[in-house]
Amino acid sequence: MSIIQAKNIYKVYNETNVPVNALNGVDLEIEKGEFTAIVGPSGSGKTTLLNIIGGLDLPTEGDIYIEGTNLKSLSSRKLIDFRLHNIGFVFQAYNLIPVLTAMENTEFILELQGVPKKDREKRAMEILETVDIADKKDHKPGQLSGGQQQRVAVARALASQPKYIIADEPTANLDSKSTEELLTLMKKMNQKFQTTFIFATHDQRVMDKALRIVTIDDGKIVSDTQFER
Amino acid sequence: MKSIIKIAWRSLWRNRRRTILTMASVVLSISLALFMRSMQFGSYEQMIQASVNQVGNLQVHDTGYWENQSLDRAFFEPKGMEKTFENIPGIKNVLPGLKTFSLASYGNQTRGILVSGINPRLQNKQTNLSRKIAKGGYLTKPGEVLIGDNLAKFLKINVGDSLVLLGQGFRGITAYGIYNVAGIFHLPSNDMNSQLLYMSLKDAQSFVYPYQGGLLTDVSVFLKNQSDQSSVKAVLESRLGKKFEVIPWQTMLSDILQTIRVDNVSGQFMLMILYVIAAFGIFSTIMMMTMEKRKQYAVMISLGMQRRRLITVSVVETFIVAFIGILIGIIIASPILYYLHFNPIPITGDMAKMYLEFNIPPELPFSIKSHIFLSQTTIVLVLSLLSSLYPIIYLSRFNVLNAFRH
Repeated sequence: MSIIQAKNIYKVYNETNVPVNALNGVDLEIEKGEFTAIVGPSGSGKTTLLNIIGGLDLPTEGDIYIEGTNLKSLSSRKLIDFRLHNIGFVFQAYNLIPVLTAMENTEFILELQGVPKKDREKRAMEILETVDIADKKDHKPGQLSGGQQQRVAVARALASQPKYIIADEPTANLDSKSTEELLTLMKKMNQKFQTTFIFATHDQRVMDKALRIVTIDDGKIVSDTQFER
Repeated sequence: MKSIIKIAWRSLWRNRRRTILTMASVVLSISLALFMRSMQFGSYEQMIQASVNQVGNLQVHDTGYWENQSLDRAFFEPKGMEKTFENIPGIKNVLPGLKTFSLASYGNQTRGILVSGINPRLQNKQTNLSRKIAKGGYLTKPGEVLIGDNLAKFLKINVGDSLVLLGQGFRGITAYGIYNVAGIFHLPSNDMNSQLLYMSLKDAQSFVYPYQGGLLTDVSVFLKNQSDQSSVKAVLESRLGKKFEVIPWQTMLSDILQTIRVDNVSGQFMLMILYVIAAFGIFSTIMMMTMEKRKQYAVMISLGMQRRRLITVSVVETFIVAFIGILIGIIIASPILYYLHFNPIPITGDMAKMYLEFNIPPELPFSIKSHIFLSQTTIVLVLSLLSSLYPIIYLSRFNVLNAFRH
């Protein structure tokens, strides 16, 4: 069964005098456990689609369903709450909370979810060990390399066991070695926990690992290919 | 809440210098405000105390006398009235008095004056009247009076001369008498020097009503502590009954209170300027912090943090800056104000003479009343929390995607 269903999505930005059609009738279904890359040139609409799938933005027309819940029907507060309990995020610029340590960043979402201190510490520690950054648990983001920060970001996204993880250009700021390590890690998590990953990327190395590549151009899906790897 | 305080606290110290500068502006403004207010309230208290020392904390009259201060409202001291004032904790001194208007004449000169009948010994104990005698001596014998220097000058009368008094007595009789001028006083008030005459209470009673002694217009009650006023007033009212009124100094000295209120407004205006400067300091810091953390806010909301929790973080940040600033300000100012309260700044020269004339110690007192600290703390906290309206409004309209784009 699909966990994400995007039905005839249109997105028009009216921020300037000229309306910009970022998405023009996108239909997409993503199933549990997928490792999907959304690719396309700059301005093709992939980040817009990712934002809509991630519940950060809503379509101008069409509907987006997450396991049967129409995100358009949720109030702003409920949408935030929905993201908290269902969606994990990995950002291009890591975007860890600078004043919190790696451990505290990993615990952050669990804390928002109201998980008791003891349980969240145990879970955060397990995840940090899984992403192989436990030895840096007391370091703040400023004391970590880009690759290490992105590992913590993945740990943060995984800690709450979301239904799927949205990753917008997660390797854009990483060197080759860190990119390879990160992708291997994400793949491992995908296989181990059946976590669904959806990437927006330009990076060929990400595409090489993806099991499905959705190509988007001018706000439309132009190809959708599945791979056996 | 713990995590909110943790994030707020650490966020503040990410930019240590800015936080310290903002706190310093709070420290400076609260210290200056406390200093200004303490000095201002100290001088008010001194002014009030000096005036209360003259009229008493409370005055007992025949009911209606205060509204219509006529000799017709005088009363004969009831038997055992002195017992009314006994066994009331807090009473320091009780001065019965008789006041009436009369004409004073010497040679070809005549003037309308206020005759004040006093108990010379108790009055001197309370107001140091004998120290205001510029010429001659204090009241020692019956038939003696003290007059102001301006009145003496007007009447061209001197110590040892006889002064004729003629006026209306009690119950419509004519009051008259010839009195020996024992001394000429100089008080701070020109009006008093021109129009006031003191004589012993017995002489005054005999002057206005020679047929029966014990006539009084007022009994001034002096207290050890101002804080006892309401309880003493209540006891007196219950003991005296409805025939007598007990008037507090706040009613008797309403003109002084009015002057203080007007002066207080000017003090508040100066404080307002001080606080506006401090508020801008806090506000600009809060604004910078908010703008700086746009992306962090966007991330937190994306991850699932509700806006109201983010708003709480911002408010807590502001509160911490204000609270620590206030605390340090009070820690710095308190010992200084306590020292100045117990060791007031001495006033010298002509100013000191003027203070002494008003029966006020020649020094600049500082008040350490808790309301000064409480009000200034509240004002700074409220101003700080008003500054946090900016992040509240900003976050409630916050667009996550715009923040990511910029």
